[in-house]
Amino acid sequence: MADTHASHTGHRVEDLRLVTGAGKYAADWSLPGQLYAHFVRSDRAHAEIVSVDVEKARSHPGVKRVYTGEDALRAGYDKFFVIVNWPGRGGQHIRKPARPALAAGRVRHVGDAVAMVVADSAAAAQDAAELVAVEYRDLPAVVVAEDALAEGAPQLRADVPGNLAFDYEAGNEEAVKAAFAGAAHVTRLKLEVSRVAPNPLELRGCTVQYDAKDETYHLYVCIQGINMLRKQMAFATDVPEERIVVHAQDVGGSFGQRSAAYPEYCVLMLASKELGKPVRWISSRAEGFASDTHGRANTVAGELALDAEGKFLALRLDWIADMGAYLTATGSASHTRNPATCLTGVYRIPALYGRFRLAFTNTVPVAAYRGAGRPDVAYVIERVVSQAAAELNIDPAELRRRNFIPPEAFPYKTPTGSTYENADMPRILEKALKLADWKGFAKRRAQSEKAGRLRGIGISTVIENTGAGLFPKDQITIECGRDGIVTVHTVAHSSGQGHETTFAMVVADTLGIPLEKVRLREGVPGKGLIGNHTGGSRSLVGAGSVCKLAARQLVEHGKSVAAEPLGVEPSQVEYAHGVFRTRGSKRKLSLADLARERPLTVTTEASVGSTFPNGCHISEVEIDPQTGVASIVAYNAVDDAGNVVNHAVVEGQVHGAVTQGAGQIFCEKVVYDHDTGQLLTGSFMDYCMPRAGMLRDLRIEDHPVPSGNNSLGAKGVGESGCTASLPSLANAMMDALRPLGVAHLDMPYTPAAVWHAIQSVKK
Amino acid sequence: MAKVTIKVNGKNQTRNVEDRTLLADFLRDELGLTGTHVGCDTSQCGCCTVHVNGRAVKSCSMLAVQANGAQVLTIEGLAKNGKLHPVQRAFSECHGLQCGFCTPGMIMATVGLLKDKPNPSEDDIIHGLEGNLCRCTGYINIVKAVKMGAKLMRGKGKRR
Repeated sequence: MADTHASHTGHRVEDLRLVTGAGKYAADWSLPGQLYAHFVRSDRAHAEIVSVDVEKARSHPGVKRVYTGEDALRAGYDKFFVIVNWPGRGGQHIRKPARPALAAGRVRHVGDAVAMVVADSAAAAQDAAELVAVEYRDLPAVVVAEDALAEGAPQLRADVPGNLAFDYEAGNEEAVKAAFAGAAHVTRLKLEVSRVAPNPLELRGCTVQYDAKDETYHLYVCIQGINMLRKQMAFATDVPEERIVVHAQDVGGSFGQRSAAYPEYCVLMLASKELGKPVRWISSRAEGFASDTHGRANTVAGELALDAEGKFLALRLDWIADMGAYLTATGSASHTRNPATCLTGVYRIPALYGRFRLAFTNTVPVAAYRGAGRPDVAYVIERVVSQAAAELNIDPAELRRRNFIPPEAFPYKTPTGSTYENADMPRILEKALKLADWKGFAKRRAQSEKAGRLRGIGISTVIENTGAGLFPKDQITIECGRDGIVTVHTVAHSSGQGHETTFAMVVADTLGIPLEKVRLREGVPGKGLIGNHTGGSRSLVGAGSVCKLAARQLVEHGKSVAAEPLGVEPSQVEYAHGVFRTRGSKRKLSLADLARERPLTVTTEASVGSTFPNGCHISEVEIDPQTGVASIVAYNAVDDAGNVVNHAVVEGQVHGAVTQGAGQIFCEKVVYDHDTGQLLTGSFMDYCMPRAGMLRDLRIEDHPVPSGNNSLGAKGVGESGCTASLPSLANAMMDALRPLGVAHLDMPYTPAAVWHAIQSVKK
Repeated sequence: MAKVTIKVNGKNQTRNVEDRTLLADFLRDELGLTGTHVGCDTSQCGCCTVHVNGRAVKSCSMLAVQANGAQVLTIEGLAKNGKLHPVQRAFSECHGLQCGFCTPGMIMATVGLLKDKPNPSEDDIIHGLEGNLCRCTGYINIVKAVKMGAKLMRGKGKRR
């Protein structure tokens, strides 16, 4: 990829429409004759539904129909797709209990949808929803996963004894036990990776239009890619995939939360078919907090065994994942297979063992959230490693250096069966230490102390797997039309990642034509492409790299087509910068001129393997001990995202992901009342989102080690900022607090939590 | 129901609306100006920011009837004769947007901010954008964009 001016500035292709208000998000579709849906949601965490009285609502002016759990059951809408299809501990399979698209018999979390009112205006639907009378018989609720697994806990369902959805393990338990027995030192930490709300700023929404003529459902919805949603919707409703058409243009953020077939969409399908009109539902933010999937929500006990020289001998994780009230497509895979894949971190650790227990609780279902288990496992490993360094009085950078998988050991087969392709941790570390002026920290800490503030430095060295996808390959179609414009079709759908610019750059560069001659179209219905959605940092690795292959194929196809008008054999045709020429003669024909007579179309595919972006993030925090307020005073990131196509976009991804990490570390947390199971953080007034100023500056350097698994040498960058920032910032906080005697403090490091921690050690 | 006349992007618009209609919904549903986005129900996110009589206002926290007789500027009315407003240009140039959902509100809030503070400090910008949430960018490039927008606007003032 040419390192052009375009790769370093903003000015993305999509920007013009987005800065002028011409973007089109889910709520911006308006279909003629559309009806409006409003959901009645459970206001309690766990209860039997005694009765649902819809009579008053049904007779409210404008109301067309009220749907309840009975309707969902009658339609057979009670099953949702779950990725996990592999056995767990002792060969046991994951338990996938039924989930009616509208609750039937029992509600299991605050926000569980009980009924849907459809009316001819949004206001009428909302008014009528308030008239639906649900009688409940309360049941005891459990909102903490560990509590849910304990004996005597309230049981969410009869067919899941002990609320245990899945028991999974990875590694060698016996080998780890033996290694611990012979260890010179063992470090133990039990850590909370708190439950957070992904909160893309676009409200979730979906409009369904049933076309009786073709027996086809058209969904206008916020997505991460059409195929993933269609596959799940077909699974949930038994409607064949080809009868589900997904429409989306702009998507206002996703972060893993927009990939699921949500139950609401199923009931909208039912209503649109029955009522013969489009039915539209746009969530409120309050509804979103109580019904959009949450992320993380893991409690992990980590133990690291070291020898006398500080070499790692074994790592053991006891992982309890909160699945919420129901399984989602991605949640269970995210919190078993993903952490198992990266269980060794960036270190050579001879023995590994992880046990993962997935629990049902009376809370919102958990799904993938930016990183999907990888930030969680990196957080635990990196916290434990830094804790070990503190206990052994070894420089945390030096302890890491001693234990890195050496560059020459790649491809590295880990003890949990994954194969890391490549990484250059020693040089990344040295680069980061220099960028952060690691050696000068003592002086900076002394200066902060003089000003009455505590200062800490935190480091993380991390790796994660990307490239995984539900579909076995990624296909791209490229057309060069009569207008000379090259149109690229993908399945992967941008929700802010800038595909229209980056993928077009790949194609323009490969074809040697100006960027403005290339345009990207994502998820155009009827293209029939196989491919994966945007998720797992895989779009450039998968779809992007196939764009390059497809552009090359377009050239080859063009040569064969151009041979005739040029009057030579195809083998005699050369191509460069948008022009076909005959070898050794002066005859030429531009791509645009050729396509004017003979439009060109090619479809190319590839199956990309896993890639392993990695990096080192070093951060510094300052704490005002009087108030407990912490601020990030320095942040340095050295990342290996493989080859970079668009530097501005890559830096933007790092900015955004690090800030989401900082949000989780310093302020974000979904809180449920322990006794009643009420959601206490149900709006932006109660749930603290990162704001401008949280992270003022970010020094970034890249250290690309190209991947050999795709034509671009890319590794993906969407999530690594979360993966690296969680442990880096928490380690910085602990580094600042440890000298005071604070042995442990979980995220989020809110002023109150930090202040209390400081007070508790002041005697 | 109430009859309201609001001058939106320079053009008078008269509609009969329910009393409870929010200005944001009036703009989106009645006028089809979907560039004004709604991202919350509690006036924290700022996605719906427009200008009412020259001041930046969250259009979700104002009734359409309260805007009766007022002049409203939305994101669709910011570019003039196909030429982007300097703040729109700056957001694009600085990669101050990713998914673009918060962007119209961010831009309208910024234009409002720069009216009060044509040469804002970083702290002024951070304070001024406290009422606008972005989930994608991490804000660093947004702050840069505000600085650049301010510079472009001051430069334009000097040249003419």
